[in-house]
Amino acid sequence: MNVQPDLTFIKYLKGAGGDTLKKCYQCATCSVRCPLSTDEKPFPRKEMIWSQWGMKDKLLADPDVFLCHQCGDCTTYCPRGAKPGEVLGAIRAYAYTHFGWPSGLAKLASSAKGLPMLIGIPVVVIFVMWLISGGMHIPNKEHFADHGYQQFFGTWDFKWYAKNIFFIVLIMVPSLGLAIVSLYMGLTRLWKQMKNNADISGNYRPSVPQFVGQFLWPSIVEILTHKRFKECGTNHDRTRGHLPLMLAFIGLFIVTCWSLLKNDILGLFWPSLHGPLPLYDPFKILANVSAIALLFGIYVLWSNRSKAESEGTSSKTFYDWFLIWMIMAVGVTGFGAQIIRWINIPSLGYFVYFLHLVSVMMLFLYLPYTKFAHIAYRTTAMAFEKFRSSAFGKPVIEQ
Amino acid sequence: MTDEQGTSGAILVVGGGISGLTTALEAAEVGNDVFIIDKNPYFGGRVAQLNEYFPKMCPPSCGLEINFKRIKNNRKIRTYTMASVQSVSGGPGNYEVTIGIEPRYVNSNCTACGDCAAACPDEIDNPFNFGMDKCKAAFLPHEMAFPRRYVIDKSALSTAGAEAVKDSCKYNAVDLDMKPTTITLNVASIVWATGWNPYDPLKIDNLSYGKSPAIVTNMMIERMAAPSGPTGGKIVVPGSGKEPESIAFVQCAGSRDENHLEYCSYICCMATFKQMNYIREQYPEAKIYVFYIDLRTPGKYEKFRDKLMSDPNASFIKGKVADIVVEADGVTVIAENAVTGDKTHQKVDMAVLATGMQPSLQEGGVPAGVTLDDNGFVISDYDKGIIGTGCAKKAADVVTCTQSSTAAALKAIQVSRR
Repeated sequence: MNVQPDLTFIKYLKGAGGDTLKKCYQCATCSVRCPLSTDEKPFPRKEMIWSQWGMKDKLLADPDVFLCHQCGDCTTYCPRGAKPGEVLGAIRAYAYTHFGWPSGLAKLASSAKGLPMLIGIPVVVIFVMWLISGGMHIPNKEHFADHGYQQFFGTWDFKWYAKNIFFIVLIMVPSLGLAIVSLYMGLTRLWKQMKNNADISGNYRPSVPQFVGQFLWPSIVEILTHKRFKECGTNHDRTRGHLPLMLAFIGLFIVTCWSLLKNDILGLFWPSLHGPLPLYDPFKILANVSAIALLFGIYVLWSNRSKAESEGTSSKTFYDWFLIWMIMAVGVTGFGAQIIRWINIPSLGYFVYFLHLVSVMMLFLYLPYTKFAHIAYRTTAMAFEKFRSSAFGKPVIEQ
Repeated sequence: MTDEQGTSGAILVVGGGISGLTTALEAAEVGNDVFIIDKNPYFGGRVAQLNEYFPKMCPPSCGLEINFKRIKNNRKIRTYTMASVQSVSGGPGNYEVTIGIEPRYVNSNCTACGDCAAACPDEIDNPFNFGMDKCKAAFLPHEMAFPRRYVIDKSALSTAGAEAVKDSCKYNAVDLDMKPTTITLNVASIVWATGWNPYDPLKIDNLSYGKSPAIVTNMMIERMAAPSGPTGGKIVVPGSGKEPESIAFVQCAGSRDENHLEYCSYICCMATFKQMNYIREQYPEAKIYVFYIDLRTPGKYEKFRDKLMSDPNASFIKGKVADIVVEADGVTVIAENAVTGDKTHQKVDMAVLATGMQPSLQEGGVPAGVTLDDNGFVISDYDKGIIGTGCAKKAADVVTCTQSSTAAALKAIQVSRR
């Protein structure tokens, strides 16, 4: 086999938290200690040597890279301090940038150097929208108490579609839409590469219901229950942060859907449904419980990571911190805006709400390029793993 | 009791294993005064515990006995057992060393007749056999112990046992009132030949040592294979006494591992090959699995390796065992085969942990004047007459130890003659 090491790739991995990768001497302790590694396709030993040799193409077609939950058992038992968990994290970071589209934006979201732009884009977009909307004024206290942030972008007489919603949709839907298109493109490329690499013939393909029923849905169930996450030994504590965080996102998603339904559809017939929800409303309760779960979850993950870094078991990378910062920002500004509404300080409230919109837009817009992308990539890899071991995953038969 | 003695230009050798004995003899046989001390009640060290040793697969009696004879016949050498260095003061050419001597409770009248052991009702775990069998609390440390004198573990002796032991001795050799003593030695240089201890396998939690009798260490295999050992030379699964039909050797158990011993212990690969021979002699059909990262067979030992690797009933798997699961009858060792990329679950009757060498000075606390490296090995300072040798200096086999000990003797003499 003629190996052409991709030196730039190796250099990238070393800079992205995998600085220890060259210490590995292939003893394979990691593959045995990993609670998620299977008997047929153990990892991360093979990923370590591919990284050392700069075999980028193999790594980018390897579902095991995404199956890793970075629980750290391999790193704890590694006799050389090669930190396989960190190296796999660095490979994932590379993959999100590699598969990301448009590539300029993907690259921008991959390093701290891009931070001014990363924050600047949504700040400018939302501020310009605020200017265009003509709603740009700070309301008085009575108005603020009645309407909260529901007239941030002003109001108009066209009762079938509120101005505020119009502007929020104008900002958020394209952001999320771009993310979804980008993810779709990335995931199809990943799937194709994984399939080619696993030598799976294209002759027998599952139908959409088969794909969803046999591969995708079981993976989602595994994710929702954190089944694999709970097998982790060393960083078991991360489940304590990640599970509430994930449930919080689901909760907030439900609340957003309800709010849309209530304001934009039901509100058309019963105008009294407009306005902030009272605290005792079940959806408001769900929203606040989710917000607290989100803040608690991200706090746990934040402190676990700081602890691991101070103990030297993980390295400080922009890739890991950027997502933590963004989620923390969403949580703090969202919950903060609500508290400021209660104590009724319109100017501060509007400022914090502005920041909340900025952080939410960041979360959506950069989803495919940051660590947040793992929700899509890991799910895909898990579905692929099931696909590979199913009857569809038979290797190409020699003609 | 303090006993002032010493000769200007004398050499103190700390540790009476193969390295210490060699250093002492090489220095004394060219006319230097030598003191040699050992913390055990006998000389011979780790080599005495082996069944056979490299390079010629001799039983230890072969090499050690001639050294003991040379020591006995050499008036330049003074020996102390159950002795350890308490403090060191002074400088090169004129060290004053305080030696603490633990009570043996048996004086020099002892003829090693064995009557005390026969009379003693109390038993202890035999330390020489790593606790695999029992011996009496009044015991000869091992069959060819030198000095050939019994020793009593007073803490394990019952009142009745004490009486029985005392009454059984025809020569008035038992003295249960002995107290720890110190002596002071004036020496020109100090040679540290303190050797090694087998790395504590309990510290390697993923290898499950202690959770099943089917998990043993390589040093335990040496004792089992030795005719004088706990099983009379038969290698069996401890506890059940079962004859193993399959055996896994777990290489680098604690060695080359930042979490345990950072360095390669040098001897474990060859020890495993040697022990494969023991097993073959007793069980020609037994399946042997060797799990390794790399095999270190320096120099001509490569031939030895070639011979064992051609054994049709032996498999070599490149992959470190990182998990051992205890089964009802035996254990399952788990490793990833780095050549094929599959994970192997191998069920065996017995797993042998090829544990490495930990320099014993690191565990016992660092004596004054000695510099140790990060791993606990002695860094020699020839100008100061502080010299490390054998496995106190680096992990090594017997051949390398005797070579480095001859060198250490020469360096020590140079300080004495300065």
